[in-house]
Amino acid sequence: MRKNSVWKLFVVILVIAVFAFLAGNELKKDNVRTGIDIRGGVSAILEPDIAEGSLTDEEITKGLQSAKVILDKRLESRQIYDKSVTIDAVNKRITVEIPWAPGETNFNPQETISELGKTALLTFQEVDTDKIDAKGDFLPTGRIVLQGTQVKDANPGRDPKTNEWVVLLDLDPSGSEAFAEATGRLVGQYIAIFMDDEFISAPRVSQRIEGGSAVITGQADAVEAGQLASTIRSGSLPFRLVATKVDSISPQLGQGAMNVAVTAGIVGFILVCLFMLILYRLPGLLADIGLFALAVLTILSVAWTGISITLPGIGGIILAVGMGVDANCVIFERIKEELRDGKTLRASVDQGFHRAFAAVVDSNVTTMITAVVLYALGSGPIKGFAMTLAIGVAISFVTAVTATKIMLQSVTSVEIAKNKWLYGVK
Amino acid sequence: MKDFDLIKHQKKFFIISAVIILIGIVFYFINGVNLDVQFSGGTRILIETNGEIDAPKAEAVVEQAIGKSATAQTQKTNNPSEESKTIYMLRLDIASSETLTDEELNTVINTVTENFDVKEGGNVEVVSVEPSIGQETLGNGLKATLIASVLIILYVTWRFSSMHGFAASITALVALVHDILVVFTMYTVFQLPLGEVFISAILTIIGYSLNDTIIIYDRIRENSKLMKKSTLDEIVNTSIKQSLTRTVNTAATTLLTVATLYIFAAVNNISSLMEFALPLMVGFIAGVYSTVFIASQLWLMWRKSTMRRNLKSA
Repeated sequence: MRKNSVWKLFVVILVIAVFAFLAGNELKKDNVRTGIDIRGGVSAILEPDIAEGSLTDEEITKGLQSAKVILDKRLESRQIYDKSVTIDAVNKRITVEIPWAPGETNFNPQETISELGKTALLTFQEVDTDKIDAKGDFLPTGRIVLQGTQVKDANPGRDPKTNEWVVLLDLDPSGSEAFAEATGRLVGQYIAIFMDDEFISAPRVSQRIEGGSAVITGQADAVEAGQLASTIRSGSLPFRLVATKVDSISPQLGQGAMNVAVTAGIVGFILVCLFMLILYRLPGLLADIGLFALAVLTILSVAWTGISITLPGIGGIILAVGMGVDANCVIFERIKEELRDGKTLRASVDQGFHRAFAAVVDSNVTTMITAVVLYALGSGPIKGFAMTLAIGVAISFVTAVTATKIMLQSVTSVEIAKNKWLYGVK
Repeated sequence: MKDFDLIKHQKKFFIISAVIILIGIVFYFINGVNLDVQFSGGTRILIETNGEIDAPKAEAVVEQAIGKSATAQTQKTNNPSEESKTIYMLRLDIASSETLTDEELNTVINTVTENFDVKEGGNVEVVSVEPSIGQETLGNGLKATLIASVLIILYVTWRFSSMHGFAASITALVALVHDILVVFTMYTVFQLPLGEVFISAILTIIGYSLNDTIIIYDRIRENSKLMKKSTLDEIVNTSIKQSLTRTVNTAATTLLTVATLYIFAAVNNISSLMEFALPLMVGFIAGVYSTVFIASQLWLMWRKSTMRRNLKSA
């Protein structure tokens, strides 16, 4: 006879309750970001900041096209997948639309937008020790040692000695060569690093640096280092873009879209729970607890990762919930089959999980493969879908299989829960 | 269910699917597809209004007036110094590969003026918009899909080796293509706008269908080991029959959720969410259908023909 392990059930429920409390907090603080399609956001018109006649029409159009690609990348590197960047070829400008940040309803988005329009041209320049500004920082001299286009990759990291946040640069062959030459020539002197002529830091060269790596020091924290790295990775714009008009816009899906989606979500969730309860009785009830955990953990992961819920995202969540429910159906049907074969309850539960396991793992792995590939290679709405799907599938595997299994095994150790009627078998 | 024999009716299932897909193709050649502004680009018309107006209603009215897919949003420019100077605009994005004619433009502006509180002498602006989901996004998406397919073929071939995994993986993918085509039929027949909503729906359907097929294949894989003495026909029949309750229950639960979304969207007149929920329902049904009646049956045919060939050559 199995030891009474009913305490496990309560531990699982307690853990879920704690997560539910945390999720409730995030919701109260309005930290769950909803996308521009559902909630609306900001629309800005960006115009190239170039001297009249300095570029031909064709050059501007080409510049705008490469700017769109870079703006898309910059926004995605900030977890904003639900943006739209469109070129207005006639008026030679770009319209950027981004969602509200969490908690914001009517803020001044000028900052985000002007941040976005920066060319983000990274340069390493030689310095003249007498050319400094009021703060004592070096001024750009135009004698460029290395620039952003020669950077292959940029990542945030920590300096092992000082524990300070830095950005690590991986240079391409031409960059490595230029950097080695310059550091060799300038031993004992400073090299200043600028972003769009804005001073970042100026390390002193202690020796010639070979091997194609460089470091930008002086980052305040992980966030700042991460943002600088992603800006460098996204590449620089062909020209600066200035926001000429910033408007707030209503949701693309229609004004009431968010309320409808939320209400339908809650009602749909309750219906699914009832359905599972009626179909599978006691195991159905436990599956409902698992589904509740799935909902709670999804809210938490969305709030913590800062991604926004968009229509593709909702698709991903529906799929993840559907797969969780399906996993439960597969498992519970197996348990019923075992019970009908006359096995004991305990053996049936163990066997049911055991035999359904391969099916659930295989379907989850194939879905995960799809999600990861779509995330890695896709862009825009495809990336948003892949992100929530991957998170959802991972969570639903834990809640629908692991949590439900612990709860069911724990419950079956109680005498009153041994009635086979509770499992839908006569 | 005494004579639960799906194999007998194999041909009928294929014919039903073929007919549906054919209808889609025929309608494609008659009507083409109705590309949404995110794909096709088009014209943006901004009309100044007195206060905020009902955008979904404007969308419906305009779509009816010119017979093109439109997206309506309201836009508001805040002047922080003077609250009273907030400018409200109705923003209509009308999908079209060519620029709108003056006549169409006038129709739109007149229709809006007749139905809504448009500011007299207010600003009207017309600009062109390029597709926001451009070639690059689609190209990336396609590349991603191809790579994901190859990886899935590899994984399924390996995991389902006891039921001749390569046949299993290819037939599973055929079922996916089948589901996409069925949903596509719906788009061409009803001329639903093909845009970001379509991408979301299709991706969800693909995932759902794949999951469904894998679960049934798992049963076939297991029964292939347990029922060594049975014919392939019997194995497939038994597997489908054994998992029937699960198939029905899962399909019913998911359909229930999506139907809820559809009903709420319909009651509140949110056409975009209806356009999302409807293909999902069709796609989910297609997904279940294709698992039982297409993928499993094709796998069976494939296996039988390989065995026949092996017998001949032996």
